[in-house]
Amino acid sequence: MTAGAPAIIASGLKRTYKGGVEAVRGVDLEVQRGEVFGFLGPNGAGKTTTVRMLCTLLPISDGSASVAGIDVRSRPADVRRKIGVALQEIGLDPLQTGRELLTLQAGLYGVKGPKAKERAGELLDLVGLTEAADRRLKMYSGGMKRRLDLASALVHEPEVLFLDEPTTGLDPASRITVWDEVRRINATGTTVFLTTQYLEEADLLCARLAIIDEGAIVSRGTPEQLKSQLGHDVVRVTLPDGHPETVIPLLQGLEGVDRVVSDDAGLAVYVDNGAASVPIVVRALDEAHIKVGAISISSPSLDDVFLQATGRRLEGADSANDKATSGKGASR
Amino acid sequence: MRETWLLGKRAVAEIWKLPAATLPTLFIPLFFLAVNIGQVSKTYGPDTPFLFGQKYAAFQLPVTFVFAVSTATSGLALVTDIDLGYLDKLLLAPIKRSSIVLGRLVSDFVRGLLTSILVLGLGLAFGVRIQSGVGGAIVLVLLASLWGVAYAGFAQFIALKTRNVQTTNASFIIFFPLLFLTPNFVPFELLSSPMREMARSNPVSYIIEGLRSLVLEGWKPQELLVCVAVILTTMFVLTAASLRTLKTYGD
Repeated sequence: MTAGAPAIIASGLKRTYKGGVEAVRGVDLEVQRGEVFGFLGPNGAGKTTTVRMLCTLLPISDGSASVAGIDVRSRPADVRRKIGVALQEIGLDPLQTGRELLTLQAGLYGVKGPKAKERAGELLDLVGLTEAADRRLKMYSGGMKRRLDLASALVHEPEVLFLDEPTTGLDPASRITVWDEVRRINATGTTVFLTTQYLEEADLLCARLAIIDEGAIVSRGTPEQLKSQLGHDVVRVTLPDGHPETVIPLLQGLEGVDRVVSDDAGLAVYVDNGAASVPIVVRALDEAHIKVGAISISSPSLDDVFLQATGRRLEGADSANDKATSGKGASR
Repeated sequence: MRETWLLGKRAVAEIWKLPAATLPTLFIPLFFLAVNIGQVSKTYGPDTPFLFGQKYAAFQLPVTFVFAVSTATSGLALVTDIDLGYLDKLLLAPIKRSSIVLGRLVSDFVRGLLTSILVLGLGLAFGVRIQSGVGGAIVLVLLASLWGVAYAGFAQFIALKTRNVQTTNASFIIFFPLLFLTPNFVPFELLSSPMREMARSNPVSYIIEGLRSLVLEGWKPQELLVCVAVILTTMFVLTAASLRTLKTYGD
């Protein structure tokens, strides 16, 4: 890779499937070397399609992309030598043992004979699977399979690692283990491109991220930048009688209110100062004879960023945040 | 070449690791062999001209060879790789895509060898003599194994084209008419006219005829050459179709 050149560049990347379905509609990306870049979006947003194009599994319909400084369209074989990929669907052969799988994988990447076995041993050690190394993969748990899949993406010490929803379907403990692995891999200088539908995962791991919805990027920046764009605090108001959209004009013009967004749960009112704004909001609703269920103040989360950008909340966001915990904790 | 060897080793290991994928494919051909011999051997005694002094089992044995090695096992293994996402992992590796198909064919050859040796052993146990001798027996096993490789290309093509386990499994059904529209019970001359025409236009007939010549008559160059030509042509066409499908896989 050229010194200083971004690890991934995509420009106007498009993918149109047979039948005219546009899964990715002109994605522009620039991922710097050595960073963990998050690609956040709900199911069907175009995350996996983008990853599959960048890692040469899917032809690009339009636009251009380079990975590790190599053009994806014209030199796909060279790109494959530079990247490691762990797809959302864990691609393992249940008849092989962990050691056999990694030895074969090393062999396919040009590591020969005893060195391939040696490399397999190192990687098994690295992901904590030495004890289970000679067990067939059908005996592995979901978390073990995911760790082995990660290890298999590292046999050739790739410059860029693509992780497509690496923690989807994992229990909280396994999820934290994978997060630790991602941090450790990144600490060795590997660029990580991580897709996720979990807000906390993006918040915890990614230096920068892009939010994709319906095939297009709707927002990008560091998690802090994205959250700060929304204002300092969020006042959440639930409305037992429903129809939050009718209340938006009432609150929109109030002092200190940046913007108001509605969702199924009620209203998210983005304000400069939560404590100062709550009485104003409550008074306005009371004067309009609108019944209030609950009211709370919090800092903006990536879920709010997603809501602001797309008009709806991220599917599974709450459950993911509830299940997964870590030292840093949730942002709201 | 190295990649083909590595993937071939993996595929060959599956024969031992998953015997349930191979053993059932032997049941039907051996069942047919036993039933056919049981039903017809009294009708066609050793004095029957087309048996060349042997039992009817000798006439049937080449059919069993062809039947036993013509399986969808390799295609099923490939479609399982597709289903599990393992094919994606292979496609992401810096290897030639052809090695994925050719590696599978290595295991088809090994499976064909094992199956054919077993069938040959059973034939000898039934009292069949290989008229072409030990050399002929070796050629018989090799040709049957190569036909197994050629036929495997069909299931691989279906696997790559449909990416569906059920459809790949069902592709085996196509072999039934191919096997039975042949001189499998009696020679061409004794078939009824329309049946004879269909059998003559069926390439599988010439594989059976080639193998049969080794068992019943000794070395018959013309039958063997036609047999080899059919096997190689089938192998080339079906493998090329699989390779072409894999080349555009994902487009």
